[in-house]
Amino acid sequence: MAVKLRVSGIGKDYLIPVIETVSFGVEAGEFVCLLGPNGCGKTTLLRIIGGIEPATRGAVLLDEQPVVAGDAPSRKVGVVFQEDRLLPWMTLEQNVALVLKPLGLGADARREVARRHLALAGLGGFEHYYPGRVSGGMRQRTAIARALAIEPDVLLMDEPFGALDAQNRRIMQTEVRRIWKETGRTILFVTHSIEEAVAIGTTLVMLSARPSRIRELIRNDGRVARGQLIDDLNTMIMEEVERQQGGAAVTPRAKERE
Amino acid sequence: MAERAEGRGAARRAARSLDAWADRLHLPTLAVAGLAVGVWALLSWRYGAYVLPSPLAVVRGLGEILSTGEVWTHTGASLARILVGFGGAVALAILTGLAAFVSPRARAVVHDVLAVLNATSVFVWIVLSIVWFGLSHWAPIFTTLMLTLPVVASNIVEGVESVDRRLLEMGDVYRLGGREKFRAIVIPSTVPYLVAGMKVGFGLALKVSVVAEIFGVTSGIGYIMNYSREILATQMVFVWALVMVLVMMLTDKLVFDAVARRLSRWR
Repeated sequence: MAVKLRVSGIGKDYLIPVIETVSFGVEAGEFVCLLGPNGCGKTTLLRIIGGIEPATRGAVLLDEQPVVAGDAPSRKVGVVFQEDRLLPWMTLEQNVALVLKPLGLGADARREVARRHLALAGLGGFEHYYPGRVSGGMRQRTAIARALAIEPDVLLMDEPFGALDAQNRRIMQTEVRRIWKETGRTILFVTHSIEEAVAIGTTLVMLSARPSRIRELIRNDGRVARGQLIDDLNTMIMEEVERQQGGAAVTPRAKERE
Repeated sequence: MAERAEGRGAARRAARSLDAWADRLHLPTLAVAGLAVGVWALLSWRYGAYVLPSPLAVVRGLGEILSTGEVWTHTGASLARILVGFGGAVALAILTGLAAFVSPRARAVVHDVLAVLNATSVFVWIVLSIVWFGLSHWAPIFTTLMLTLPVVASNIVEGVESVDRRLLEMGDVYRLGGREKFRAIVIPSTVPYLVAGMKVGFGLALKVSVVAEIFGVTSGIGYIMNYSREILATQMVFVWALVMVLVMMLTDKLVFDAVARRLSRWR
């Protein structure tokens, strides 16, 4: 299958280098989960890919066209943030319809598309509710519906269920998996939960500790049993966490240097 | 015994619901007001009508201006001046808020200017407006404008500063244009601050414009109060003070509270 999204040599420095260099390709229809220890720059990487923040080095190509921060590209990127970022003074339907305006749809078409995507996210009947009147899970569903409504080339999700309780989290994971299967969208999903990544992703990208590079890229195609995969990833993440906290002696690479 | 306890419970419940009703009708406040009127009547009887007119004289005075229609002439004149002065202040405050939103440098200047205006006394503006505009309508109008501007503008600027940057970023991600972001995100975040500022500002406008009306105009609540004092009709001073209080309370309840309720529908 064709490469939809290509991340090539992306790096980011703030005061210190946060992302050293990260490269990978995503095929159309893939569900990629980005994993890594806290503070390794997962969110920053996602923001660079979405064109929200500029990269210090490297380029992001979507259908071979560069994604540049601050530009208004013809490529469409849908983003679901950690928080729902809904406008509290608009109903769920108005919130979704709002982001369709730049696409040049008429008012009726916007309403129709918004309703269809709210229904897809399991919110049929709640179109005229205000965000403050529904649960956190329903607000996050609305944010997903909003991101899908623009029919994005790629859907970026930044720990979208971090604020939900365990039960809602599990429900939403199943829902996202279902929506992915129904729509065939290309999804990039940041999470710090290994179980979550293994449960929903087709490709798992494990980042190293800061300054981050790719530690491991794993196809989650069932060839390795889930339990085994979770154990392996847990071991990796613990190594990276220790390295980040200065326990460098135990990591293989530090040993090589000696 | 159980029965008696139940009976007592019912009595207590009845007493509690009576209490609730008394509170809803502001009965405690009315009781205090009644006491105050009683003391007022006594003091009036002791010191005479010039210093303290009797409650009855005040009620009679109120009836008089209501029946002659004089109450509308002066209240109308005051309100018209407030509308111009306060309206101008609101318009300027909105422009200030826009400037503060567009440029951080403008915001810093606005903060400093508002601090100075906030620290300036009413009397400065009254005296200056008489110097600049003579004895005319424009003196109370200008005074009202200069005094309410910092109150309303501070609120709007605070509202502009409180716009959630994360929502604006969401707008960027979905490629909303500047005008669309302004309409959908900035205005709805700022309007509640504007309304709160206008509520305080209007109260201030009513109090201040009346003071400015003492000088140089021949209509308005401030003028007529001062005139009543000069012709030794102290009861009319009380009557007009009462009118002012009523106007203030009514606009608060009927205009600002209603608008605030409508704005917070989604909460």
